[in-house]
Amino acid sequence: MSILDEVRSGKEDIVEYAEECMQKAKGIDREYRYFTAIAEESAIGQAREIKKNFQKYRGKRLLGVMVSAKDAICVKGVESCAGSRILKGYRPLFDATVIERVKREGGIVIGKTSQDEFGFGSFSVNVGLGFPIPLNPFDRGRSCGGSSGGAAGLARKADFPHIALGESTGGSIAAPSSFCGVFGLTPTYGKVSRYGLIDYGNSLDKIGSIGKSVEEVALLQGTIEGHDPKDSTSLSHPHEGYKELKRNVKGMRIGVIKEAFSDAVEKDVQKGVRSGIARLEEEGAVVEEVSLEFPIRYSLATYYLLAMSESSTNLARYCGMRYGQAGELKGNFNEYFSEVRSKHFGEEAKRRIILGTFARMSGFRDAYYIKAAKVRTLIIRHYRKAFGKYDALASPSTPLLPPKFTDIEKLTPLQHYMIDVPVVGPNLAGLPHLNVPVGMEKGLPVGMLLIGDHLQERKLLEMGMVFDGE
Amino acid sequence: MQKFTTDVIIGLEIHAELKTKTKLFCACPTQGSGEPNSRTCATCLGMPGSKPVLNRKAVEHALRVCLALDSGIAKEMVFSRKSYFYPDMSKNYQITQYELPIGTGGSLKLESGKTVSMKRVHLEEDPASLVHPAGVRESSYVLVDYNRSGQPLIEMVTEPEMHSPEEARDFLKQLITVLDYLGVFDSSAIIKADANVSIRESHYTRVEIKNITGFKEIERALGYEVARQREEVREGKAVAQETRSWDSEKGATFSLRKKETEDDYGYIIDPDLVPITIDREYVDGLRSSLPELAQDKLKKFRGQHGIEETTARVLAKDKALAAMYEAVSGEVNPQLAANWVRRELPRVLNYYKKSLGESGITPMHMISLLKLIEQKRITEKTGQRLIEKLGESAFDVEEYVTKEGLGVISDSSLVEQWCREAIKEAPGAAEEYRKGNEKSFNFLVGQVMRKAKGKADPQAVNGVLKGLLRR
Repeated sequence: MSILDEVRSGKEDIVEYAEECMQKAKGIDREYRYFTAIAEESAIGQAREIKKNFQKYRGKRLLGVMVSAKDAICVKGVESCAGSRILKGYRPLFDATVIERVKREGGIVIGKTSQDEFGFGSFSVNVGLGFPIPLNPFDRGRSCGGSSGGAAGLARKADFPHIALGESTGGSIAAPSSFCGVFGLTPTYGKVSRYGLIDYGNSLDKIGSIGKSVEEVALLQGTIEGHDPKDSTSLSHPHEGYKELKRNVKGMRIGVIKEAFSDAVEKDVQKGVRSGIARLEEEGAVVEEVSLEFPIRYSLATYYLLAMSESSTNLARYCGMRYGQAGELKGNFNEYFSEVRSKHFGEEAKRRIILGTFARMSGFRDAYYIKAAKVRTLIIRHYRKAFGKYDALASPSTPLLPPKFTDIEKLTPLQHYMIDVPVVGPNLAGLPHLNVPVGMEKGLPVGMLLIGDHLQERKLLEMGMVFDGE
Repeated sequence: MQKFTTDVIIGLEIHAELKTKTKLFCACPTQGSGEPNSRTCATCLGMPGSKPVLNRKAVEHALRVCLALDSGIAKEMVFSRKSYFYPDMSKNYQITQYELPIGTGGSLKLESGKTVSMKRVHLEEDPASLVHPAGVRESSYVLVDYNRSGQPLIEMVTEPEMHSPEEARDFLKQLITVLDYLGVFDSSAIIKADANVSIRESHYTRVEIKNITGFKEIERALGYEVARQREEVREGKAVAQETRSWDSEKGATFSLRKKETEDDYGYIIDPDLVPITIDREYVDGLRSSLPELAQDKLKKFRGQHGIEETTARVLAKDKALAAMYEAVSGEVNPQLAANWVRRELPRVLNYYKKSLGESGITPMHMISLLKLIEQKRITEKTGQRLIEKLGESAFDVEEYVTKEGLGVISDSSLVEQWCREAIKEAPGAAEEYRKGNEKSFNFLVGQVMRKAKGKADPQAVNGVLKGLLRR
């Protein structure tokens, strides 16, 4: 009998168990730096609450499961900074809807995981000032990907029942899941409420689940999905739950994106992903090559223009009033705001504020922001057309194996942005996508990306099960 | 480019608070506690992670305004973020409408019959209010009260078609009347205007005046500004293209900032709010349930009831008075009803500084009072005294008249006795009258009414007095 079964049946004391899990989490954090805040007090408090009202929680989906939340997801009373120093000290007065649902189902929220500041990065090296960079679970000299780096790393390393809540704007679940060798599902835009998520790019942000197995991912994902009246962009699609999933590959039509295997993709990654595709074919999938030149060519530029335009407005509120960091009150309000913002935003945040503001200023707005919005519609059309023919599209999740920190330092911002090429398309189109760990090359994990049509998460999970336990 | 030819060109941008129970994007109440920051939540404070949810009632109200102004209605509701940094902004962007306002075009008729075209109508959230503890210029610090943050505002923009401060004043007055009739605006709520004003002599260099509250102020502010611009030109200076603010206490405008270019707010579509289709059938439903507006009432009062123009206008432009008049005129002579509702009722309300609603005077009170007059059971004088008393606190008129014995005194011997006394006490006046001075007669009537405590039938007094004086 597993420890989780014992907790769920009431044989094992849930408070003692939670304390033990917290100790383990802290041990992992000391070595790998996955947390921005460990919520020991509130986690133990939750365990006590469950113990006291055990009958109420018996049989709940997540009973006894430890859940970590990417720092951008607000947890009541627990410091939530989206990885930025400017929000240091901010303790939300409310739980994000996803947290509310996790707690209601008996999941215990153990802390906030590290990320690139506000999600601005692909390697979790753009952490906010004063935050530690999380380290790859397979090699501490390498990146665990970003921006949900802490989430994916912890999902790999946790030696207790744990599932991670991540968030993706342009690939921030798939990329770190690939680098850390775990399953990471980014759902259809609007399927999971964004209420309580500290915004990056509101038309792109999606909360999803990261775990060691499809089963874990489905368990958490089934809990957090569903309409929320507090988020106007939340879909009213009926709640799925993902119960009774079963391997289902036979006869599935899979389009392998031709342009995603360019020379820019490392040979080891190509090899790993090809072997994953071969595996699906063995299981009865019908595999074909498909060209998606338009999305691959234009997604990156379109994504960055829209995401930066939106984020530059989202970040305006951080000005040293109301919450987070404050400065010495002197000068006029403009001088005060500039002082606080200059001091506490990291370099990448500043870069995106400047670029995003530029793209929406009159004179440039039509050429950049408005044009990007139009191109986005075309990109969605290209994908939809492909889904008329295929159940899923396949590509690498990232073009490279987890890089060394010393190599990342050499990248220019543009090279840094290029890492997102395989993942920005589905993110821009709001399409669900799943990173599947397909094997190891040179001792490092390789991830394959399966992209589905809107609301077709189930298909992706059932295909992903082929790789469960490998 | 528009070609201007008149001496003065004025365009208005008017912001009015819409009457809803909750704020535009959250469930906080719009009314209630005045305690600073007591009516706030994560959304109207702009807390990280909070999200806006649109108030349908505010949209309904805005649609009513569009219908009343005959504006074209958008196919869908789309909101934008208007970005600028200011301490009263909870997010440092305001959720407003930009490319796709809810209403486009339309017009409003002035009292003179002139029509002013509308440019657009849109919905937006109000920022928080800044509190300067020691006055705007002297305070060394500012406090922010977020109670107002997120209140629904409707912005109505006119074409530059007004040609005098008086016209601008009348426009605002007519607009307030429309909003009041629609039930979308609380007449005690704040209505603010920004005005663009330019004069021929400066080749129409545009100056924007901000922060004008109410229709009396708009005439003052624009009057001042037109004179100031003319003075600048007379002194050989150029009128600067700039933004000025109206200081009501000093009665002057002062420069806020010069502007050579349009402000750049970096608008983007607000991605937190999905576009909402405005259903045509729903709009048709609103259109057919639109109440009669002041113009309709005026036509009715003049045409069907035969009320003279000025009285009909006074009644029509005040929703509460019009409703009172309509209820009362169904029961008593419309002419009598119109006179009393137009003159006596406002006189009394004004005296007690109460609104009609606060006074507790209902159509029932007015009907029983006016019926007593119509049936000559009380004199007009008594009626006036009764309505004054009603203004203090309402009561059953019939019952009170009986109890206090206020009915008309028609006992002729008593009237005759008062008349004899009056003549005897003022022989001079009697003599004057006999010489042909009518005023002296009125004086004597007054003396008699005083003795009768206003209860004597004036016609009877007239007759008896004249008879006695002839002898």
